Amino acid sequence: MTKILVDGIEVDVPPDYTLLQACEVAGAEIPRFCFHERLSIAGNCRMCLVELKGAPKPVASCAWAVRDCRPGPNGEPPAVSTKSALTKKAREGVMEFLLINHPLDCPICDQGGHCDLQDQAMAYGVDSTRYGENKRAVEEKYIGPLVRTAMNRCIHCTRCVRFLAEVAGVPDLGAIGRGEDMEITSYLERAMESELQGNVADLCPVGALVHKPQSYNVRPWELNKTESVDVMDAVGSSIRVDTRGREVMQIEPRVNEAINEEWISDKTRHVVDGLRLQRLDRPYLRENGRLRLASWAEAFGAIAAKVKGADPKRVGAIVGDLAGVEEIFALKTLMGALKVQNLDCRQDGAAIDPSWGRAAYTFGPTIAGIEQADAILIVGANPRTEASLLNARIRKRWRLSPIQIGVIGEDADLTYPHTYLGAGPETLAEVASGRHSFAEALKGAERPLVIVGQAALTRPDGAALLAAVAKLLQGLGSKAEGWNGLGVLHNAAARVGALDLGFLPGEGGLTFAEMTKAGALDVLFNLGADEVEVGPGAFVVYQGTHGDKGAHRADVILPGAAYTEKSATYVNTEGRVQLANRSAFPPGDAREDWAILRALSDVLGHRLPFDSLGALRKALYAAHPHFAGIDQVAASDGAAALTTLAGLSGEPGREPFRPAVVDFYLTNPIARASRVLAECSGLARGRALEAAE
Amino acid sequence: MTAWEVLGTVLLIGLKSVLLLVALLVFIAYALLADRKIWAAVQLRRGPNVVGPWGLFQSFADLLKFVLKEPVIPAGANKSLFLLAPLIFATLALAAWAVIPLADGWAIADINVGMTYIFAISSLGVYGVIMGGWASNSKYAFLGALRSAAQMVSYEVSLGFVIITVLMCAGSLNLSQIVRAQDTSLGILGWYWLWLFPMFVVFFISAMAETNRPPFDLPEAESELVAGYMVEYSSTPYLLFMLGEYVAIVTMCALGTILFLGGWLSPIPFAPFTWVPGLIWFALKASFLFFMIAMVKAMVPRYRYDQLMRLGWKVFLPLSLVMVFVVAFVLKLTGLAPVS
Amino acid sequence: MKLDQVARGLLLKEFVTGFALAMRYFFKPKATINYPFEMGHRGPRFRGEHALRRYPNGEERCIACKLCEAVCPAQAITIEAGPRRNDGTRRTTRYDIDMVKCIYCGMCQEACPVDAIVEGPNFEFSVETREELLYDKAKLLANGDRWEREIARNIAADAPYR
Repeated sequence: MTKILVDGIEVDVPPDYTLLQACEVAGAEIPRFCFHERLSIAGNCRMCLVELKGAPKPVASCAWAVRDCRPGPNGEPPAVSTKSALTKKAREGVMEFLLINHPLDCPICDQGGHCDLQDQAMAYGVDSTRYGENKRAVEEKYIGPLVRTAMNRCIHCTRCVRFLAEVAGVPDLGAIGRGEDMEITSYLERAMESELQGNVADLCPVGALVHKPQSYNVRPWELNKTESVDVMDAVGSSIRVDTRGREVMQIEPRVNEAINEEWISDKTRHVVDGLRLQRLDRPYLRENGRLRLASWAEAFGAIAAKVKGADPKRVGAIVGDLAGVEEIFALKTLMGALKVQNLDCRQDGAAIDPSWGRAAYTFGPTIAGIEQADAILIVGANPRTEASLLNARIRKRWRLSPIQIGVIGEDADLTYPHTYLGAGPETLAEVASGRHSFAEALKGAERPLVIVGQAALTRPDGAALLAAVAKLLQGLGSKAEGWNGLGVLHNAAARVGALDLGFLPGEGGLTFAEMTKAGALDVLFNLGADEVEVGPGAFVVYQGTHGDKGAHRADVILPGAAYTEKSATYVNTEGRVQLANRSAFPPGDAREDWAILRALSDVLGHRLPFDSLGALRKALYAAHPHFAGIDQVAASDGAAALTTLAGLSGEPGREPFRPAVVDFYLTNPIARASRVLAECSGLARGRALEAAE
Repeated sequence: MTAWEVLGTVLLIGLKSVLLLVALLVFIAYALLADRKIWAAVQLRRGPNVVGPWGLFQSFADLLKFVLKEPVIPAGANKSLFLLAPLIFATLALAAWAVIPLADGWAIADINVGMTYIFAISSLGVYGVIMGGWASNSKYAFLGALRSAAQMVSYEVSLGFVIITVLMCAGSLNLSQIVRAQDTSLGILGWYWLWLFPMFVVFFISAMAETNRPPFDLPEAESELVAGYMVEYSSTPYLLFMLGEYVAIVTMCALGTILFLGGWLSPIPFAPFTWVPGLIWFALKASFLFFMIAMVKAMVPRYRYDQLMRLGWKVFLPLSLVMVFVVAFVLKLTGLAPVS
Repeated sequence: MKLDQVARGLLLKEFVTGFALAMRYFFKPKATINYPFEMGHRGPRFRGEHALRRYPNGEERCIACKLCEAVCPAQAITIEAGPRRNDGTRRTTRYDIDMVKCIYCGMCQEACPVDAIVEGPNFEFSVETREELLYDKAKLLANGDRWEREIARNIAADAPYR
């Protein structure tokens, strides 16, 4: 620890701190454009100049370490002054230079109102210009459908370049030219290829890079901001949903060190227009093969008529990927009252059983824990498409110090160097038995991490594969105390919550695949399952938000609320319980899902014992106490789960793993309704074709 | 008298009544306009000037507006009484004109008890006000009606004594006789306004109080009662109240003319002034009184209610009572009393 | 009560002086103007009916910066913005002023960076239904076209003082 004087306040900071960080510890505010906590230091905007005693001129505090400061002649701590006249003058000079070429088009700039340059010009700007020449004009660049450029406004902080190179791992942007001629460009007018590219617009301190789909739509001051959770994948990124009136206008990331730091994927961000389009806003009823508008009473009446006479063995319920814990709990309670055993939430048929222990189906080491792993084996997963932010965390780990990362399954560009081990279960067996060279890397690791993806688990031999992974981990032994190296990577936001609730076939119950077979059931309750075809025969009650596959097959459609329109609990792949908050209201006659089920239960003659969300949560927490721990991961016994898993019987097959996510942009009904994501998907497909040629 | 003669008399009286009514209403229409114009002029405004040349048709436009508007009857009101009240008020106000001589012999009913008749009729007008205020079923209307009733009753007392002094001098209750009693060779100086000067002033002020004119318009003081007993009225019923009020004012002007300003008499008792028809003199005098009343409205601020009552009971009543005695003594002592 | 006071009271001195004063005013020139036929003076800063202006080449000035919406103390302005179809420039897709809410404070024209929204000299825009006072973009632009000469003159007249 080193002592340093900031504006006369003595602080004790680690010597590797920069002056900027030391000043912040002392409570001084330092203006900055290029500096960002999660990116490397560039030191090129010069806005953070401070006066350092003994230095011949002001120093850039972001690029000057505390250990580089010279102590006073009598050994006094080095003194920094952030409010001196010299500092102010220096910053005003920098600001004047920045504004020489920055256009004064704030009124038409989408950054207006949340612009760093605007804010800091209020503090350090001068009210007139001394520059008589013409301003620099820079051509706009096409860098993809998600980010619009206005390069006249660029102040060359290079945050975007550094983000793409460091966090996203795709060197799509760079700077060419020097001095005034410097330009940020994608070199060849190509779209950026990162699934995290939206973040560059967030990072841009000025309006040079802005979100294209929300062009000119909103001003920050007219938005109502609601903190919520993303459901596009099982990572559960923390988001802020911005609404104007009843309409969701944009989704922005929220800082959450445990999950997404401060990034979100493009799917999370740009699904916004999907929340508006293709919505189910009225109940529908199928008559003579055609769906027609119906009232809630008619819809409920039709369901009751079918359910009343049905044999409970011929009734089933399935849950899709976006359902919140509350409505799954309500559906489960209702099915319990109807004595129905045919329940399942594993839409993709994943081989997971909660009876193996909670550690057997959650991401044991947690996402933040990836940074401690020192060897990673990825089995049957493409984290870049299945969980982009988890992938970014692996890349962050790799950047801290290069580690061995092996992949079995799809050989994709994961943005960090990895060893491709093989395509199928045989390679896994080789690694497990120690015959493969990568086994050495795992053996040498203090905290080995094996990520098992849905590509492995959804196979018929999923249980056997899980057993093989468990055996491998058991063979490695646990060297670090409390380290759980088994990371199950889910793709569906609803999955872990439903598994926690035990929404699985009861005694003699049918599985998901059996239920959706033709003629298997008389009545099927479908709570938002849109990824599979339901066979003919059954009377299907679909409760969901979008006119997608599920709604097309439905006999009764009950319009529900999307994740921005209800207060619901989601459990991410780590087993972290998170609360999504309501930021808007469901469209038209659509209602919150638990309320629909509560109303339906009345008509079916089995009234659910809760009249409010509070009462529902009370019952839920009584039955499953861990749901009450919001934002926490309930402790689970990793070793016991490994023992159970290792004891599973079965022989892995031989065929290679197939990717679990074919199209990153279109994994759920909301995303499929989005025009923006459809455009992104088209571009990605074009790139894939191009690459194949 | 044969049946034909009776019928002829009735027809004649009917014709006269209609003629008088039309003339009176037209006069009131312009009196109303003049009232507004005078008020405006004192306040440096223009007053109504859009409908017709110089706004001459303003009153007729107002009449049309009132008649064509929707009459609103409050849900809690007593419907029959609510509609009856303005009718009574306006009818009674107009009925007083039956005995008023516009010129020598120009009265529909030149009865001997003319003064008593007018006094009785104008006292009845308060019933219309009270009925209207009560039937509206509204606080403001009710309070306004109570105030109005109290005010009218109070000032009627002193008004009565004032008239008694005149009657003593004239020696008749017949209005024409009262005018003729003022017909002396002194002309304007022989009229009672000079000889009974304090009583003329008391009469003028009491007349304003009696007719709820400013500065005694407390029953409809808009700052406290919105519009007093008329607050719930709209359309034609409101028009009738309004009309009744102005008829009462003009009646008071006519009465003042007869009692104090020599009725139809010329102010200068020789030719060529005596050639001017009496009707014109009468109209001029009544208009002058109306002008004074309008000017008072423009000049004087509204009284407080207790001040109004004090003035009525503690100043005017003793004053007029004393004057009755004084006049009686003087008449008796000087032997000028017209009746022995 | 003194005798002279009684005398003055009996001779109506106060009434007569008051009457004389009222009569003096009676014949003074009128302070009011004959409004529908003659207009009072309106300064160049007069804040009347709103208008959206255009540039001389016909291009609408408004760039949908929403500053007027933000500054409006009565929250009478509602703007929705987006890229214009044909050239992608920033334009309003909706510009509504609720003239019933408006308090005519003039903050919108102060906030406008391009002098697009202005309060013109017109104040005679009474209508028969409330709905007609909910102005939309077309109505405001039409106002701008109609009053452009006066508005431009007023802005020019006020320019030296800004």
